[in-house]
Amino acid sequence: MALGLTLAACGSKNDSGSGGTTTGGGTSQAAAKLKIGLAYDIGGRGDQSFNDSAARGLDKAKSEFGIDVKELEAAAGETDAQKEDRLRQLAEGGYTTIIAVGFAYETAVEKTAKDFPEVKFAIIDSAGPSADNVANLTFAEQEGSFLVGVAAALKSKTGNVGFIGGVNVPLIQKFEVGFTAGVKAAKADATVQVKYLTQPPDFTGFNDPAKGETAAKGMFDAGADIVYAAAGGSGNGVFKTAKANGKFGIGVDSDQYNLPALADVKDVIITSMIKEVDVAVYDFITSVKDGKFAKGEKVYDLKAGGIDYATSGGKIDDIKSKIDEYKAKITSGEIKVPSTK
Amino acid sequence: MSTEPPAGGAPAPAVQLSAITKRFPGVVANSDVNITVRAGTVHAIVGENGAGKSTLMKILYGMQQPDEGTIAVNGAPVSFSSPADAIRAGIGMVHQHFMLADNLTVLENVVLGSEPRKGVALDFGTARARIAEISAAYGLGVDPDRLVDDLGVGERQRVEILKVLYRGARTLILDEPTAVLVPQEVDELFGNLRDLKAEGLTILFISHKLDEVLSVADDITVIRRGTTVASVSPEGVTARKLAELMVGSALPVPELRESTVTDDAVLTVSGLTVVGADGRTVLDNVSFTIHAGEVLGIAGVEGNGQAELVEALMGIRSCNTGRIVLSGRDITRATTRHRREAGIGYIPEDRHRQGLLLEAPLWENRILGHQTSAPNVRGPLLDRKGAKRDTERIVDEYDVRTPGIDVNASALSGGNQQKLIVGREMSGSPVLLIASHPTRGVDVGAQAAIWEHIRRARAEQLAVLLISADLDELIGMSDTLSVILRGRFVADHDPATVTPEQLGSAMTGAGRED
Amino acid sequence: MRNLTARSVLLGLAAPLGALVFAALVCGIILAATGNSPIDTVDAMATAAQRPRTLVNSLNSATVYYLAAVAVAIGFRMKLFNIGVDGQYRLAAMLSAALAGAAFMDNLPSFLRIALTIGVAMLVGAGWAGLAALLKVTRGVSEVISTIMLNAIATYLVSYLLNPARLAETTPGSNNIGTAKITEGGQVPGIEVSGSSTKVFGLVVLAAVVGFVYWFVLSRTKFGFELKATGLSESAAVASGVSVKKMVVISMLLSGAVAGLVGMPQLLGSSYTYSLDFPPGLGFVGIAVALLGRNHPVGMMVAALLWGFLDNAANALDISGVPREIVLIMQGVIVLSVVVAYELVRRYRVRAEQQAVGKALGRTKTLEEVSA
Repeated sequence: MALGLTLAACGSKNDSGSGGTTTGGGTSQAAAKLKIGLAYDIGGRGDQSFNDSAARGLDKAKSEFGIDVKELEAAAGETDAQKEDRLRQLAEGGYTTIIAVGFAYETAVEKTAKDFPEVKFAIIDSAGPSADNVANLTFAEQEGSFLVGVAAALKSKTGNVGFIGGVNVPLIQKFEVGFTAGVKAAKADATVQVKYLTQPPDFTGFNDPAKGETAAKGMFDAGADIVYAAAGGSGNGVFKTAKANGKFGIGVDSDQYNLPALADVKDVIITSMIKEVDVAVYDFITSVKDGKFAKGEKVYDLKAGGIDYATSGGKIDDIKSKIDEYKAKITSGEIKVPSTK
Repeated sequence: MSTEPPAGGAPAPAVQLSAITKRFPGVVANSDVNITVRAGTVHAIVGENGAGKSTLMKILYGMQQPDEGTIAVNGAPVSFSSPADAIRAGIGMVHQHFMLADNLTVLENVVLGSEPRKGVALDFGTARARIAEISAAYGLGVDPDRLVDDLGVGERQRVEILKVLYRGARTLILDEPTAVLVPQEVDELFGNLRDLKAEGLTILFISHKLDEVLSVADDITVIRRGTTVASVSPEGVTARKLAELMVGSALPVPELRESTVTDDAVLTVSGLTVVGADGRTVLDNVSFTIHAGEVLGIAGVEGNGQAELVEALMGIRSCNTGRIVLSGRDITRATTRHRREAGIGYIPEDRHRQGLLLEAPLWENRILGHQTSAPNVRGPLLDRKGAKRDTERIVDEYDVRTPGIDVNASALSGGNQQKLIVGREMSGSPVLLIASHPTRGVDVGAQAAIWEHIRRARAEQLAVLLISADLDELIGMSDTLSVILRGRFVADHDPATVTPEQLGSAMTGAGRED
Repeated sequence: MRNLTARSVLLGLAAPLGALVFAALVCGIILAATGNSPIDTVDAMATAAQRPRTLVNSLNSATVYYLAAVAVAIGFRMKLFNIGVDGQYRLAAMLSAALAGAAFMDNLPSFLRIALTIGVAMLVGAGWAGLAALLKVTRGVSEVISTIMLNAIATYLVSYLLNPARLAETTPGSNNIGTAKITEGGQVPGIEVSGSSTKVFGLVVLAAVVGFVYWFVLSRTKFGFELKATGLSESAAVASGVSVKKMVVISMLLSGAVAGLVGMPQLLGSSYTYSLDFPPGLGFVGIAVALLGRNHPVGMMVAALLWGFLDNAANALDISGVPREIVLIMQGVIVLSVVVAYELVRRYRVRAEQQAVGKALGRTKTLEEVSA
């Protein structure tokens, strides 16, 4: 249902978008083709996670609006200056709309935006840089994590659930905190095991299924029966282990039950915490195209959409009403989900 | 002793080198070399390291071209621009370092580079038959199907010889063939050479082991400083005479002149005991004194504690009990550096392991071991000028043959490396010189020079500890002789009266019961 | 000897130049095979080389790489493989950043603040490397193993300390976390370059000084000699009175101290805080640069500049449609071909030298002359 809502929301955008593709797209091409530059974080397109989500939003906008797109990628171990150089090269290359994926671009966006006031910037996951030409697209991951936490608590037979974070950074800690709060809200005496795969600056935890497998095995052995994998591509390993042990997992970022890459293990994915970076990217491009650029922070939370939980597979249909109760309480402000420990 | 021209009617010489001269920029490696190699003989070419043997052989094998002179094979003048030409003329070379592929069989190694073909396919059958045939004809006993990896050194050498024969060589150049062999294998090799000779082949045998040369050669040519100085037959010459021809002067004998021993004790060792890492006692209650102007020789079969004694004296190995006193100062617990600073010069047994930085220039090697004393350092800084100047002095005074002091030590011959070490260790007026096998693996010229320097050191009132496996050297160069056996000093001998035989039996413990 | 040295200079240049040409060829083939135009790539790089900002960034990267390379090279000189430069600089940068950003430092004069920050970084780096040295001399643990382990421990330690409850602070709305920002008095001002929005790190001077000191100590002091001797032959060094254990400890401490400096130009010249996006992995770049520069102070400088330029040209390649990964391939191929080329030249040189010695024998004195 919640997913239906998002889809519907997307759908409505699609309608207006596709309406514009045939006619509006043509006119905008005739006028001035929108030039969009997108700078990925480390991993880039194809990381099966965060960057890919942004890429999906971009692809959608591209196919609908016929925009001119340039995608650049960060290298491991680079400095702020190199990130800044990337943005500047885009700006100098005539890309008047630039999307920086990831908080690592904070400093770079701040410095570059100042020198290119006519260029519209968006940065994902950071409320940091603030200027007239910068939009900050942030997400309330803790709220979605809260809901899947509720699902985990209600579905767990052992009263013991696990959280596996990709890398121990504040962003992922938000997932952890929300999840734990959700579990405790639904079942105060439940146990939550917490494990991060790597520590910064080692970011391989987002893309190392083997590490995910090991960590999940440990949690299942210690009594957990449901594990929330907030670990990007490493989640595959978590689900594999869950399947092998007859346990369950919870996905992250997209509705992982429906990802072709995870078709083998989708049976164990009872739900996913959806963080729609693609929607944020698509929305942002649309706003610029329509001349409705808005500076400042735009929070994607449960209320605004962009954060939700998935019901594909029907594994949580029986408790859906309970989860939706919590959801209503969060959107109404009755429950305030913490974002830090 | 001049080379006799082939008499009319006699077969033409297998190889005749006439007036060969080879110049490298600025220097002459060979000048006016004349050698006549009679067909069907073993012809030895002897000379010190660096006398020009290698260059000459490279010329004969086509690896280098002479600037002047002619080469004739079987009476016909030839000109080689590559080894392939030499092989075509029937000249083959067996290198000192084998050039065999370990993971191939003998057969494959032999045919490598001249694979037999039948159409486009390799024809191993014919090759195998030929190898067996050659092997049988010359008594080489080589099985074509064995893996080279499984062969011993002697067998590998026979494979090399076979390889050359397979390519049709009638004249074989063997470059220091015995260097890698144990005595029994040497005998086998010489047997093979005689068989080859009997079959009418000609052997050019390069060596500096004179006893071997005398036992196998029919003719001997001596090369010194790039030119042929004599052609002799083994019947009319002794090893000693041959060595003198090589060096160009009367061969020095290890002997001391009048005694210079004083009452002044320089090194006093008492009750020295060293236990090895495995718990075995390697030095057992050793006591001795060396006086100024005295050479104490230590005889013993290798592995009886000599190396441990030297390392204990140098502070490289710590001793368990005992006392070492140098010039009245107890240095039992002193570091190697302090001992060196106190005046111990050290000629190590293995110069490559302990005496040199092979990949460093000579002048840096001059600093090694003396990096706390003038002229090498000034405070914490290196005195590069001082060190270089002093290296020049050593090169000069000790006749280290080198084009300069900036070449790496690895480029020098063993004898010249050793002379550099001796020169270095005699610098800075030491009071004690520990000389461990000082002339091992050096040519006779360097040997003579090193002995002379030890004599001079003794005359200058140094105390010398001499360890050697060469009994003539020990007897000739020592004022006092001690025999070490299983870590103990078991007997003292008077070098003036003892014979090598007596010393040898004492070393093995046979003499102890007497 | 003169022509030998002239030749050795030529030989010295032959290896790196040959390797570069070879690497360029290989990369050209790879580009062509993957459907990218080598000419466009060269063109993009040439364009990048004309952009002041890219050059400044390259120089800044090179500064940092050079320091890392020197840290590695100190160990390499005595065959000691300090793989732990990475952990050493990260821990040092983090702790010194926490100190430099602390409020009480505001009252100190600027020079003292900077000196203190750098001093602490060196101490931390040396201390962390010292652990590996201690393990080696007391327990015989290979420094390769222990420094790799210490890298992992440093990662956890930094991550533990980088917490609001400890040495870090968060900015509301940001997903980043870092030490308190160093105020202006603790920063090292950069050098403006016209046409570039980024400044040259002020601490480029530090790298130059470190390079000079490295050269001087290694080639002009007793200590440097003993370090080299130990590297060339441990047994010969021992017999020469060098305490190898002492050398291990000292060189490891020095290597660690220089490693501590690696993070300083970035910290004091650009980031002003140690946060999640502080550049990691510089220690490993240092290994590559030291290899490429053959531990030579000038060689490593050239290598660092080359490496820095390649890294900073990657964006230009990316934007002109050439996959940026070609830079990584290039760097890898260059290192490999340089290693191979040097080995070839070394063998050739040994042969040439032995020949030279052989030739020279024709004109040395005779034994009679010597004994006379």
